[in-house]
Amino acid sequence: MMAEQPHEAEDDVFDPAGIAWTSVSPGLAAVRRTILIVQLTVVTIALLVAAVLTGWIWLWVALLVPLVGAGFGWATIGRQVAAWGYAERADDLLIKRGLMFRELVVVPYGRMQFVDVQAGPLERAFDVAQVQLHTASAGTDARIPGLNAVEAARLRDRLASRGQAKLAGL
Amino acid sequence: MTEPVSGPASDHIGTVRAEHSRLADGEWHRMHPLTPVVRSWRVLIVVLVFIFQGWGDNLARGEGVPELHRPDVAGRVLAGGGAIVLLVLLIGVGFIVASWRTTRFRVADEALELHTGILFRQHRRARLDRVQTVDVVQPFIARLAGLARLTLEVAGGSGSSVSLSYLREEQALALRNHLLAEAAGVHYEGTEAPEAPEHQALEVSVGRLIGSLILSGPAIALVVGVFGFVAVAVIVGDVGPIVGVFPTVVGVAGMLWGRFNGGFGFRVATSPDGLRLRHGLLEQRTQTVPPGRVQAVRISQGLLWRQADWWQVRVNIAGYSGGRDESNSESGNTLLPVGSRYEAISVLALVLPDLGVREPENPWNVIDAGLMASGPDNGYLVAPRRSRWVDPIGWRRSGVRVTEQALLIRRGVLGRSLDVVPHARTQSLGVTQGPLQRRLDIASFALHSTAGPVNPVAAHLDAATAARLLAEQSVRAEGARNTSGPERWMTED
Repeated sequence: MMAEQPHEAEDDVFDPAGIAWTSVSPGLAAVRRTILIVQLTVVTIALLVAAVLTGWIWLWVALLVPLVGAGFGWATIGRQVAAWGYAERADDLLIKRGLMFRELVVVPYGRMQFVDVQAGPLERAFDVAQVQLHTASAGTDARIPGLNAVEAARLRDRLASRGQAKLAGL
Repeated sequence: MTEPVSGPASDHIGTVRAEHSRLADGEWHRMHPLTPVVRSWRVLIVVLVFIFQGWGDNLARGEGVPELHRPDVAGRVLAGGGAIVLLVLLIGVGFIVASWRTTRFRVADEALELHTGILFRQHRRARLDRVQTVDVVQPFIARLAGLARLTLEVAGGSGSSVSLSYLREEQALALRNHLLAEAAGVHYEGTEAPEAPEHQALEVSVGRLIGSLILSGPAIALVVGVFGFVAVAVIVGDVGPIVGVFPTVVGVAGMLWGRFNGGFGFRVATSPDGLRLRHGLLEQRTQTVPPGRVQAVRISQGLLWRQADWWQVRVNIAGYSGGRDESNSESGNTLLPVGSRYEAISVLALVLPDLGVREPENPWNVIDAGLMASGPDNGYLVAPRRSRWVDPIGWRRSGVRVTEQALLIRRGVLGRSLDVVPHARTQSLGVTQGPLQRRLDIASFALHSTAGPVNPVAAHLDAATAARLLAEQSVRAEGARNTSGPERWMTED
């Protein structure tokens, strides 16, 4: 019961009342898991080769590390991707992210200078793109990874039109 | 009479008009013919430094300086690198002359256009209604030649400024007045834009500037470091440590010199064009910051300045991100290098005349509390006591004050600072919370301002307070944006 108290308060900060969060595509988890598995496979092969060549027992034991890492990483990526969310309000866009280090960003449409949509080859294979909003401040870290291509295009156009309607000077 | 942009071969130096002619006539002009000389002088210095450095190394190895007056020695020097240096020098000068030939600018309606580049042409057009600052800078050599550089900053991110180097000083000033009048939306009679009348607000005395530099971290570090290494050298009986620390000493001394040079004769004046700052010993700089261009203000004080009650005022201005290139040296973001508390607050009042503190409260007390006090007096929302676990000293003063027009963020117990961000200038907002903060039920609230020395973050507030600030501030910022003054400050929008 003791742990319950701070939990509620923190939900207040990162989940203000009355906001319908849209979560990002599970394709993002697939992309990140693919990267994780490829990396760990390389490490495993390297360890395996070293273990066979040298015959050290500890190297065989070390092979457990990538295995455990794969399991832990797999689960964490799922939770991390689930933690991303965004909400379009009348005057601003809200983005929340992070598990350990949580962050909530509010970007007014009138402050938006331009919108980027990016997708690398791996992202495209999983139909995932990143939309990033830029304001005049370099401190604004407002990106939404893991949108499917249709949603990314829709959001981009919607943000652009809202930005135009609300545009203010610096 | 307008010359085509393409056709550098066809026109001649005659484009540069007689000295008294005005530049703002909608035609293309070249920079002053002495520009290549002023520029290649810099190249020459670099080359000389290289040569002397080489000789210095030779001296250190006990080989002595080459006797260049002897033909055989000169020949050997030329063969062994000297020829390359000469070639580089010639190419450099040639390049600068060619670049002068292709550089031209035009003051069109609503815009300043600059055409540069030899191989890769660049045509830049800066809209005058987007002007953030207009600076007239005179590096030492340019001053000797009576020249000045005019820099127009338009807030397009990195490297968005338009720099005209070099013009005759009076032409640069006349052009600045014209650009400011255009940017303000004023139409004047006659051929010359009148210079806006100035009213001097304050001046930093040389004595105080030197005092402030002596009582600064780098100076103390310099003295302690030098004494320390001399002591070590004496104890071990070897000059090695001193030689080793020499580059650092030169670096720190250079930094102090830079601050002295930049802050020398610092004067703040007000005019209808906005705030006018003049400063500099060797390189003289006149900055004009029109109203509403300041994105955030920080009044701060180092530990050593407490006794004297000295404060520094620095600002964020869009496009002006401090220390990135020669035209934006560190002093560009300084509104007051050192001043009394009274002066610092006065400068803040010049930049943000209406802080939005209403009766019965006194804005002066609110700011003074932000600079000196701790605790919840004067409406500050303070960090809770439990935040001492993550900020054991500073938590006492951490606090936020919201007024009708601005957000004030107070922090620091040893070195103090107060950040002021007008609601109308808030770009975006954020709340962050790390694992430790989560356990303590606190969170940090950040306002995102344009790049610059002010980074307004209220760390370790009560989580619920941070959430409330975030929700309220986005509404306030929206409202302030809708009612903020026009970009062109002399027009009724």
